[in-house]
Amino acid sequence: MNCEQARTQFVDYWRGTLEDSAGEFRTHLGSCERCRAEAEELKDLWGTLGTLPEEDPSMGMRVRFYDALRTWRQQEAQRRQPLWWLRHPAFQAACAVLILAVGVGTGYLVRGRDSTEVSQLRGEVYNMRQLVALSLLQQQSASDRLRGVNFAYHVEQSDPQVLGALLTTVNHDPSVNVRLAAVDALRNFSDSPVGRKGVVQALAKQDSPLVQIAILDQIVELHEKSAVPDIQFLLSVQSLNPDVRQRAQWALKQLQ
Amino acid sequence: MGQGRALPGEWQGMALLHSVTFGYAAGIPIVYEASDSSLMQAVRDGDLGGLAVLFERHHRPLFNYFVHVNGNRELSEDLVQDVFFRMLKYRKSYQPERSFTAWMYQIARNAHVDSIGKRKFEVEIGDREFASTNMMDENLKRKQEVALLKRAMARLPLEKRELLVLSRYQNLKYEEIAGILGCDIGAVKVRVYRAVRALGQIYFELAGEKAS
Repeated sequence: MNCEQARTQFVDYWRGTLEDSAGEFRTHLGSCERCRAEAEELKDLWGTLGTLPEEDPSMGMRVRFYDALRTWRQQEAQRRQPLWWLRHPAFQAACAVLILAVGVGTGYLVRGRDSTEVSQLRGEVYNMRQLVALSLLQQQSASDRLRGVNFAYHVEQSDPQVLGALLTTVNHDPSVNVRLAAVDALRNFSDSPVGRKGVVQALAKQDSPLVQIAILDQIVELHEKSAVPDIQFLLSVQSLNPDVRQRAQWALKQLQ
Repeated sequence: MGQGRALPGEWQGMALLHSVTFGYAAGIPIVYEASDSSLMQAVRDGDLGGLAVLFERHHRPLFNYFVHVNGNRELSEDLVQDVFFRMLKYRKSYQPERSFTAWMYQIARNAHVDSIGKRKFEVEIGDREFASTNMMDENLKRKQEVALLKRAMARLPLEKRELLVLSRYQNLKYEEIAGILGCDIGAVKVRVYRAVRALGQIYFELAGEKAS
């Protein structure tokens, strides 16, 4: 046995687990001073190493361990319960999303299917408003006719009957307030050539400066150039209110 | 129960069932403790009571393993807990034919390595930590020897220190250490010898400094 081989046996020698039946190890130690010295020197160290005092963990460590184990066991028990996943937050969130998706989808389907019914209803409401507007415009009371004009705001712009009624109101209603309201309501009919022409023609029929100015403003707003002769005619009237004259001159400038 | 401490109430019954097995030999009742391996098998099959018994048996040696390896008591306590919960987490991977102790220390080594990774630096063990342990009734010379040895251990590279803790302090068998380190028994013997020699060099160097 050489030194190298002997050293691999040192730990067994120190531990007392050396199997040296042939006595090779002991023979080597007896003949090799260096190995003997090293084996003995380190044997003491090995012995001391085995007697290092043990450290005690704190009591808190056991408490923490058993707390954690308890929590683990509860979670395990939960997992083992039938349908435990029903209580899992992830599952509940998924359900919420699914229900929302189904709701939105159903909403789209229902809207598509019932659109004809809804438009039918909308038509009926519109007809009713038209009737109310037309009947109110015929009333004796100026406030009723004002309400009629207000209803006229809510009918479709292309409705010729309401447009006609509004133009009649502008031209013939005895109340200045009602006529002013009707001029305003006619703004909704600015896309209709009949409406625009009606507004221009109404200018000559007005005697109230307030209504005249309102119509002039609306003409400028609509850029209705066909109104130029009508405005010039208005200016030729000697008894024209100075404010209206000034507004008419301004309107002419804007249109030219 | 290694230390004769009472388990928390709820675990006592389960632990008793697991730690003690009753049998009969020639009509005479015999009582013996369940092996670590059979306890771990019970844990693997979903019975957590076995882990309480394993904890009682092994938490102290495991704590000392960590304290000797990293020198930090708080960290060592956390790591002990970590090891037992890793056992729970990976219980399905436990193979009864392997030594339970070897498996446990393998987990312990991984936990230790991970803790180093988390903290991004290796724990430097100060001489102070090793010199401050209880040395109650020992004589002065013995005290000095132990203190010196601990300082020498602290200066040893981690893998040598760990090997000495496992082989000498924890008294594991060569086969178990070989299983933990993933090498053969011959290699374990040589590595342990080299670790002791390296420790001796540091130890005698420190002793010489002190003597001079």
